[in-house]
Order: sequence, then C-alpha cells, then structure tokens
Amino acid sequence: MKKSARVAIAALAFLAAPMALAGCSDAGGATPESGPKALSVATMTLPQSLDPKDATGSALPFFQAVYDTLIKREPDGSYSPMLATEWKYNDDLTELALTLRGGVKFDDGTPFDAEAVKANMERFRKGGGAQAKTLNDVKTIKVVDATHVTLELAKPNPAMLFYLSDAAGLMANPADFAKGDALKTKPSGTGPYDLDQNLTFVGTRWTFTRAPGYWGTRLPYDTITINFFDNETAIVNGIKTGQVNAALIQDADQQISAEGDPKVKTVKQEFDFQGLVLFDRGGMVTPEMRDPRVRQALNYAIDRKTMLEKIRQSRGELTNQVFGESTAAYKPELDTYYSYDPAKARELLKEAGHAGGFTLKLPRIAAIVSDALAASLQSDLGAVGVKLVWEDVDAGSAIKRIFTDRAFSGLVMNIGQSSTDWVVVGELVLPGAFNMFGYTDDTVKELLPKIQGRDAEDAKAELQALNEHLVEDGWFVPFYRMTYLHVSDGSVTITPQDGMAVPSIYNYAPAE
Amino acid sequence: MLSFIARRTAAGAALLFVISFLSYMLLSIPDMDVGRQLLGQGASQDLVDARNAALGLDRPVLAQYLDWLAHAVRGDFGTSWFSGEDVTRAIANRLPVTVSLMVGVTLVTAVLSFLLGVWAGVRRGAIDRFVQVFAVVGYALPGFLVTLVIVLVFAVHLRWFPAIGYVGLTESFGGWLSTVTLPIAALSVGSVAGVSQQVRGSVIDVMRQDYVRTLRARGLPPWRIVFRHVLRNASAPALAVLGMQFVGMLGGAVLVEQIFGLPGIGSMTVNYTTRGDIPVIMALVMFSVVGVIMINLVVDILIGWLNPKARIA
Repeated sequence: MKKSARVAIAALAFLAAPMALAGCSDAGGATPESGPKALSVATMTLPQSLDPKDATGSALPFFQAVYDTLIKREPDGSYSPMLATEWKYNDDLTELALTLRGGVKFDDGTPFDAEAVKANMERFRKGGGAQAKTLNDVKTIKVVDATHVTLELAKPNPAMLFYLSDAAGLMANPADFAKGDALKTKPSGTGPYDLDQNLTFVGTRWTFTRAPGYWGTRLPYDTITINFFDNETAIVNGIKTGQVNAALIQDADQQISAEGDPKVKTVKQEFDFQGLVLFDRGGMVTPEMRDPRVRQALNYAIDRKTMLEKIRQSRGELTNQVFGESTAAYKPELDTYYSYDPAKARELLKEAGHAGGFTLKLPRIAAIVSDALAASLQSDLGAVGVKLVWEDVDAGSAIKRIFTDRAFSGLVMNIGQSSTDWVVVGELVLPGAFNMFGYTDDTVKELLPKIQGRDAEDAKAELQALNEHLVEDGWFVPFYRMTYLHVSDGSVTITPQDGMAVPSIYNYAPAE
Repeated sequence: MLSFIARRTAAGAALLFVISFLSYMLLSIPDMDVGRQLLGQGASQDLVDARNAALGLDRPVLAQYLDWLAHAVRGDFGTSWFSGEDVTRAIANRLPVTVSLMVGVTLVTAVLSFLLGVWAGVRRGAIDRFVQVFAVVGYALPGFLVTLVIVLVFAVHLRWFPAIGYVGLTESFGGWLSTVTLPIAALSVGSVAGVSQQVRGSVIDVMRQDYVRTLRARGLPPWRIVFRHVLRNASAPALAVLGMQFVGMLGGAVLVEQIFGLPGIGSMTVNYTTRGDIPVIMALVMFSVVGVIMINLVVDILIGWLNPKARIA
C-alpha cells in the first residue's frame, strides 16, 4: 500500500505542477497588451483582405484603423469632415463637389490630393469588390485642383455621402496600386494606426499601433488589437476574464450569459432585422407568389411574437417593415400592420385561388436559420396550407444556389437597417442582389423618381408612401428587429454606431 | 531497421500522392463558383468570370491539380483565395498551437494512463474499480461538455488560467503554459480514460503469464517484475492505442480550439473548408497526412524497440 500511495502522490504532483506554474505566470496571460492604452476587440467578421476595394460594412473597423474615409460618420449617423472638409450637392443631386484637406501625406510622403481621390475611387469602382456597386452612379471624377474634386453622377443619388463615409470613401496610397496585391496584407493609408506586421497573424489577430504624425485627433488607445473568433462562447468568456475588452454579441443566450457577470457593461442596439426577403414577386420560381394576396397571407400566417419569445428570448421588436427607426420612411404603425391571423391567411389564399395550398422552397443557411426558426416557420406556414421545404445550403454553395442559379423564391436572413433611406431602397427595392428578378410595380415606379432626386427629409411623404406600399403589397415578410448587445469588460465605454452593427473604431474610449 | 524506415517512407509518399489527388478531385466536385463568393452577390458576371480565370478555375480540374502538384512538390502551396495570405506562412503560424496541444495531451496521456493502468492492473481492488469507473465516465462524457465545464470552473470562476487565447512558446514560457494547460486538460480526459483501460487490460494479461509467476517465485522485487518485465510486454498494444489517439486528436482539437479561441490548425480547417479555399485545405490535408504517417512510423519503431518479437512482422 505504501508504494501505491507514493505513486498516487507522484501523479497528483504531476497534475498540480503545471497549475502552480501557470498560476504564477498568469499575469503574462493571453493578452500581453492590456494596459490602459491598449484595446482588444473581438469580432466574428473575417475581412477578405485589407485592400479598400475588398472592404465591406461589417469589416469596416479593420479599415478605419489604417485608412481614413473622405467623410466621417458620427455615432448618430451625421456626417463630419475627415479627409474632405466640405461637400456640396447641386440641386438635383447629380453633382457632388468635395473640398479636400490639404497637407495630408501618406507614410511614404505621397501627398493626399484630388488625384489620389480619383485614383482610389476609380480603382474601387472597377475593383470588383462587394461594395464596388455603390459607385455605379458615378459617371466621372473631375479633378478641379489639388484640393477640389467633383463627382458627376449618371443619375441623382442621395446616398453618396453615406458611401463616402463607408467602404467607397477609404483612401489608400495610390503609390501602392502598382504593387499588385500589396495592400491586401500591407495596408497603407493616412489613418490613425499602422498595421503591426510582427504582431499580426492574418485570420486570427490584427494589431494596430498608433501612426506617428497622424494629421487628425489622437484616438485614446496606443494599440488596438482585433481578434477573430468563430463563436460567441469564446468571446463572452474572454470578456468575463478581461482578455477581450469589447465585443458585439448577437446570440440571445450569450447575451444573457454576459449580462450575468456584474463587471460586464452592456449597451443595447437594434440593427439587423430578421425576415423573409421575397425576390420572386413576379412568380418566376413559385408562380403563386405573383399574387399580392399570397404574400400577404404569408405575413398573416407567421406568429412573430412567439418566434421572438422562443428564438430570441424576447430580445427585439416585432416589425413588418424593412426601413429602420432612424430613416425618414419609418412609420411606427407599420411595425404591427400584420397581426397573427391564420384564418385570414387561409381566406386570402382561397381568394387567390390556392385554397389547396402550395409548396414554397427556401434555402436554409444554418448560421441564420436555427432549428427552432426552421421548425417554427414550417409549422406556421403549414397551418395555412403552405408547405415549406428547406434546402440546406452551406457557406460554399449558398451564394451560387441563391444568387447565380436563382433557385429560390426568397431567403430568410438578417439584414442591417441603414439609417440612410436611399441605401435601403438601393439594397432592397431597386434591381440588385436582393431583387434579383428586377421586380417592380406601378406604385414603386411612380414614387422612385420623386425620392431619388431629393434629400430624404424633403421626400419624407413619398418615402413613407413607398414604405407603406411595400408593407401592404407584401414585398417582404420581416419578423423582428433583433437586439444586439455591445459588451465590455468594464474598462471601455462603447458608443454604438447608428446604422451599423459594429461600432466604428472611433467609438471606443477608456471608461471613467 | 533502415530498410524498414525506407520502405515505410516510400509507402508514405505514395499515400500522400493518392490522397492529394483524391482530395483535390473531391474538393472540386461541389460547384462553388469561387469568384462569385469572393466578389459577393452584387458583382457583375464579367467580373466574376475574370476573377475565376485569374485563379485558373476556368481550366479542367486535372490541369488545376497538376499545376497545384507541380508547385506543392517544391513546397509552394500558393496563397489563400480568400485572405490572400501565403498558405505556408499561415499554417506555420498556427501549427505550433495545435502541435503544443497534441504533444501535451500525448505526454499527459502517456504518463497518467500508464500510472493508472499499471496501478489498477497490479493492485486490483478499490483502485481498479476507480480506474474502471473513471474510464467509463471519461469516455462517455462528451468532449465539449468537459471543455465547457473546465473553462467555467478554472478560467471564468477561479481565474487560475486565461479563458481564451494563446501565447507563443517563444514569447513567454509561463504564458504559453498558462494558455495550453486547460485545453490539454480538456483533451486529456477522454484519452487518459481510453488508454489507461488498455494498459490495465494488457497488464492483467501479462501478470497471468507463467513467466511472471516464475519471476515471483524466484523472489524478484515486485516493482522490478512490473517495470522490467510486465510493462515491456504490456506496452505494445497501449502504444498502438496512444498512436491512434494522437491521430484522432485533430478532431477533438477543432472543438477545443474553438472554445478556447486558440488560433490553431483545427479551427483553421473548419473556417477554410466551409469557404472552399482549396489551396489552404489541400495544404492542411498534406500536413495532416504527413503527421499521421510520421506518428505511425514512430509508434512502429517504438513497439519494435520495446518488443523484439514485433520486429519480424
């Protein structure tokens, strides 16, 4: 027995040794830079590259660290000077004149001037990135002098200021354009930080250190680290232990877990809405969809309240409209236009001549359509006679099946609610990715010209009429706006960015 | 011995070639439209076609494969289609994380399971029952549950270890140890349970052999019998199981790396496979196959060294 006891002690000692060692060295833990001047942000967005032509809205913070945009978008959605100090539309919104900041230089001494703006925007437009389409309306970029540029638009576009404060407004050093794919991994802009190549592991961790001689206001952090995670469990654990200072949490259960920790500070924001985008209003894939009464029936058939309770623990607001609260088109009463009324849905289907029901095939992207959501939609629609068939698509096949093959009548997804009306119109109403069959109708045709040439506030009546029409005609089946939670370990104050799920890099400050 | 290693290496090279061909073909079957995925749903078809052509995807699959092979044999695995990073560099960045885990788990498993297995096999009684129960429970518990509980208890509540992240061995040894301890512990539960059971079984078998009784009758001290004679004969099957555990660990590593937010090969495999990034996936497959071949070789050599009977086979 004595010997076995000795072995037991040896085994215990072996187990305990690394713990003791690790306990001593815990101070040097996983985030080496966690002083007051370092910020560690977690993200679930993987940027395709750090070349501005590949930039997208959700990956914008990566770019904002290194590049400045022409126009800065403040947290409340208003615009303020950045690389452009002044801007002015002409009366019919077909020309945008920009005055540029003088004396700004890229790291290698190349001056930032009107030629650089022209080179950047032309490259962006032709670069084939996901956002290249936002400059489609730009006909010519006229260099007036070194600090003045005029954008001549092929047709009025009230959203240009938004685009210039977003991906299309990021300004890279034109001297790097000739160096092939250099900007993808070695970004070079006039921004507040430089990418630290030694502390950056693409796909995992990007470290940005303060750029010496930055022309603008110094941001409060000397270094910003953006860490990629593929699940929110790890992010919430990191927040609780202070290894991550700030993050955005989308999943309701993870939100509850984060809120359970007294040290964790949280700010709520409603940005994405979840719903069924119906592309097929012309009945190209499912002929039944052509009838507005069928689309209205789908809206009546869905028990949004129960879905919000069961799937998102009531974290969100029911809605029937695709325009968000900060747009001019938004009308509060449209959030409850469709009640949950299966009897009415059956009646509408009967009137449309589909009393026997029909089959609706939709793609299922598992990351968005959880088992609970899939089952709940299937049973709600089944109850009124619409047989919902899910086809599983994975990340690899989704885009091809949905957008190239156009195999489905609609798509359940989460869509960000921009605060700029024309951005919403461009994404969801005009022909494009989410209106792939280019469907339109007389009301929309009549209203669009009245909206396009004017500022959103001036065209408020028409925008609201458009919104109302889209809801009544069943263009979409929105479910609810989802509450997202900005969480911090207590050391950071996060200011949410209007019209964007992830905060801009400028919106973090040390907590008081 | 040298001819044995040479033969195994040649077989390994052939295996590598066959697997690379099959993998490339399998990866090319799904009709992914990489250009479309890269450029997004809004890009025009011309741009998508141009991007596909730039990546060489407009050529026949066999031509694509031969091109890949020609570069791969020179150690050039190309660049990732999606992130533009050099594949070899990307893997080199992540390999230390996963290798740390695998080597750590193998060492912990080897030491603990031999201790527990021998102890249970020799002493029997209460300790044997304990090891048996531990083996069943450890094997039955789902890996993700064990991992989540370990994180919650030791990182989030007790704060003994960091909950996420990885510090390189070259950056700081203490930091490295603190970041890999919990992941290694989480992965070890299942493998200790499996291997200790194997060791116990072999030890009991060998202890019943006539020569052990003879040695006992000659009055040799029990520890000498166990460590010099019994263990030598009992360890071959256990080593084989340990080798298999090592190979199978990549699957467990995926989960553990995700929960601990570790930037390793496992989480990389998942993230890049779902996007169909063939240059990265192919390189990962090649690294894994080389790893498996090497482990099997090492295990065979070890078994042969421990037990001369195995050398003939």
